[in-house]
Amino acid sequence: MTESRLHLTRRRLLQGAASVALTAPMINRAWAQEATQINMLGWFGHAEPDIVAEFEAENNVKFVPKYYAGGDNMMALISQSPPGTYDLILSDAEFVQQLNAAGYIEEMDASLYPFDDFYPEYMNFPGHWTDKTLWSVMVRYGLLGVSYNTDALTREEAMSYNAFWNPKVTGKVGHFDWHLPSLGQVSLLNGNKAPSPFDIDEAAWTAVKDKMMSLKPQVGGYFDYGGTFAGLKNGEMLAMVGIGDWITGVLEKDGAKVASVIPEEGGIQWTESYSIGVGTTKHEIINKFINYMLSPKGQVKSIQMAAYPGLSPTKSGWKAIQEANPAEAKRSGLIEGDDNDPIKMLREGRLFFRDVPKQQSLEDWNDFWSDYKSA
Amino acid sequence: MRALGWVYLSAVFLFIFAPIAASFIFSFNSDRFPTLPLGSFTTDWYMRAFSRPEVWQAIANSLIVAGVTAVVSTFIGFATAYTDFRYGFRFKTAYLALALLPPTLPLVIMGLAMLAWLSQLGISGTLTGIVIAHVVLATPFAMAICRLRLSQMDPALEAAAWNLGSSQWGAMRHVILPFCAPAIVSALCLTAAVSFDEFIVAWFVSGLNRTVPVMILEILQGNVDPQINAIGTVVFVTSMTLVVAAQFLIFRKRQDD
Amino acid sequence: MTRRFDPYPHVLRLPLILWQGAFFVIPLIFMAAMSFWLVKNYKLEPNFVFDNWTRMLGRGAFWDAYWITLWRAVLAGIIASAIAFPAALFMAFRLSEGGRRFALLCLIVPFFTSFLVRAYAWQVILAESGPVNAVLGGVGLVPYTMLNSGFGAMVGYLTLVLPLVVIFQTWSLAAIDRNLIEAAGNLGATPLRVLGSVIIPAAKTGLVLGAVFAFIMTFGDFVSPFYLGGSKPPTLTILIIDTTKSGQQWPRAAVVAVVMIATLFAVASAALRAAYGRRG
Repeated sequence: MTESRLHLTRRRLLQGAASVALTAPMINRAWAQEATQINMLGWFGHAEPDIVAEFEAENNVKFVPKYYAGGDNMMALISQSPPGTYDLILSDAEFVQQLNAAGYIEEMDASLYPFDDFYPEYMNFPGHWTDKTLWSVMVRYGLLGVSYNTDALTREEAMSYNAFWNPKVTGKVGHFDWHLPSLGQVSLLNGNKAPSPFDIDEAAWTAVKDKMMSLKPQVGGYFDYGGTFAGLKNGEMLAMVGIGDWITGVLEKDGAKVASVIPEEGGIQWTESYSIGVGTTKHEIINKFINYMLSPKGQVKSIQMAAYPGLSPTKSGWKAIQEANPAEAKRSGLIEGDDNDPIKMLREGRLFFRDVPKQQSLEDWNDFWSDYKSA
Repeated sequence: MRALGWVYLSAVFLFIFAPIAASFIFSFNSDRFPTLPLGSFTTDWYMRAFSRPEVWQAIANSLIVAGVTAVVSTFIGFATAYTDFRYGFRFKTAYLALALLPPTLPLVIMGLAMLAWLSQLGISGTLTGIVIAHVVLATPFAMAICRLRLSQMDPALEAAAWNLGSSQWGAMRHVILPFCAPAIVSALCLTAAVSFDEFIVAWFVSGLNRTVPVMILEILQGNVDPQINAIGTVVFVTSMTLVVAAQFLIFRKRQDD
Repeated sequence: MTRRFDPYPHVLRLPLILWQGAFFVIPLIFMAAMSFWLVKNYKLEPNFVFDNWTRMLGRGAFWDAYWITLWRAVLAGIIASAIAFPAALFMAFRLSEGGRRFALLCLIVPFFTSFLVRAYAWQVILAESGPVNAVLGGVGLVPYTMLNSGFGAMVGYLTLVLPLVVIFQTWSLAAIDRNLIEAAGNLGATPLRVLGSVIIPAAKTGLVLGAVFAFIMTFGDFVSPFYLGGSKPPTLTILIIDTTKSGQQWPRAAVVAVVMIATLFAVASAALRAAYGRRG
């Protein structure tokens, strides 16, 4: 991009929008000439400039993202593209096993990554290893609880998932449109903690479905990432099921009166991990990027990612954010021993990894979700 | 009574144009989630949107797709219009249905069928795939415009050319094509505009190659912000330029006759 | 047929047949065939089983979506026609030739703005904290929830179809022979009577076509029910997209698509028979 193009005047824009557009291919050729292209499949935001621009400039690479919403959606996208389409896959941890089973990801060399810097709880993340073989490396995570408008509900009211049934938010409860987080939270509310809210027998599953259905009169809509964001921000929704600080954290910075808490019944942890796509030829640069993201510098970017914030699994990441942005470290609990310290909550048994259903098929959960939406 | 009519008509137009005007206004408004009173004037959203290389990449993709779509669908549309004008044959109703039905099929279904079929052929996720789908959607418009123009032509004109010793191809080249030239140019513009705005089928089959409207859809699904308005305004101006050019060409030619 | 083969007509006829055959008809047939396939581990497997059909048609969610989509499409056809009619009447009979042409030209403009962008604009305008509610609040009214409801979706549908319906109606009204109307007036018919027994029957084709197109476009729209209706409840288009997103279930989405095509075909042909009626 040239400087002059950045300083478009309004008049010029109005007069010459079409002619500006016509110059695009030339500019395009100029920047695309040499950079190595890395195709990334990921959640929205992972290949945006705030995360990758610096790495792109230093290594002369160019990230080309394909964004998805939800693990099922990711599996669908990857299965319809030829092998080698995606070099780097950022997936939710619980889908790593499925990626592996379907043969979409490559084995990784554990010695290349800084596992000794990880908190022990995250060193052997479930599903990322088969025996001693590594398939995926965790890069960030976050917590899902009750997200609410602070004008509508008090913090005390929000400290239980029952808040979604509160008459004060009737018709204003939104869902992030994905079955796993919403159903997981209702499962927690029903007391399914051991071994996990996602490992429940048929009776408990029926109870979860019934409980979910009883929320229906409260519900104001089902949203993708953008809709969730806009709905909470403009007051259209006063409480959201299935999300957490990854949405409200961004909105808070924007001055919206929203917050997220981990309620009494416990919270759910989402986890994002990098895998290497089968058929890629760019191993070296991909490994370099994964290490970059796990370095203190990369973790500081990840923690404050513009699209949605995430927590750090590495000790050096915690230290780095405490120095770089103490307020953010405090807000997101990345200070050991604080009330909202995620490692502490995990050790106290208040956090559960989001997972795919263990005793039912993913399809059953999926089908129930569409039944619920249209009920 | 008459005044009431004007008021009513204005109200209908207001409803139709409110979102277009609002989008234009919001694109210069500083608030991320605009409300009244409006924030301050800014060109920030334009700068942000157009400082992103992927937006330029999307524009380039859109222009390529629209350009190729325009040429191919106008060629097919013209040939079809001429066939309809000149010949009667068995199954002509089916032939015309083939020519005119595609726009009535919901785009979501079109997208699904295209994705399934093109991935079978191994060309889903490519610009070629988008072009193929857009030609299907745009050809009926090209056909309609060319057919309209042909219906203004005296059929005796072509026969006269044959009598003067011209071959069928010669008559096509020296009589039909020149007569249809303005319609062909407007068909090119209109089909390009149809392609330039289409996002659902393109979204299904685009893979990593995003066009501008697909990009807008992704911003709407992702980090909703007024860059949508900025990009939308530029797309609108581009499309309108094409359409006005098309109108102008048809209109001017009519006056020449 | 002449003895010598003449390539000329074929060269001109074939492009359409080949292209629309290969990329319109075959994909649709393929999609219909795919509705009998199975999906294992996110991969399509050619097969011929009725599982997808029994599964989709046996689900309450499918029929709920079906009826709401059908109902909304009918409603949009009626509302759009009713709103458009007075405007079209005014444009056809009260505007000058030039004025009418200009107005019609203006109505074509919306087709060249991205519908997504317009939907997004409505999202902002209709929001709880948006301009409309700011005005309502200014005159002392309580904020009214317009988004994420049937109302929001309807605003989207009307934005999509209204221009086209007005255009169709105006065309057919403007084409009515003025002498007919004058004659009816001279015979002492009241304006209302003229409208009911002369104007509307004469413009029937355009009126029905407008309503049918409104129906078709609403039936197939995905943007309005999703971005303005909050997927509440989901329509068939949302169901298709949800189904393709969740675990590569294209065959089941194909079932929904085939049912939609059948419905559109039935409704459109019935309506067209009504429009061109008497001659059968």
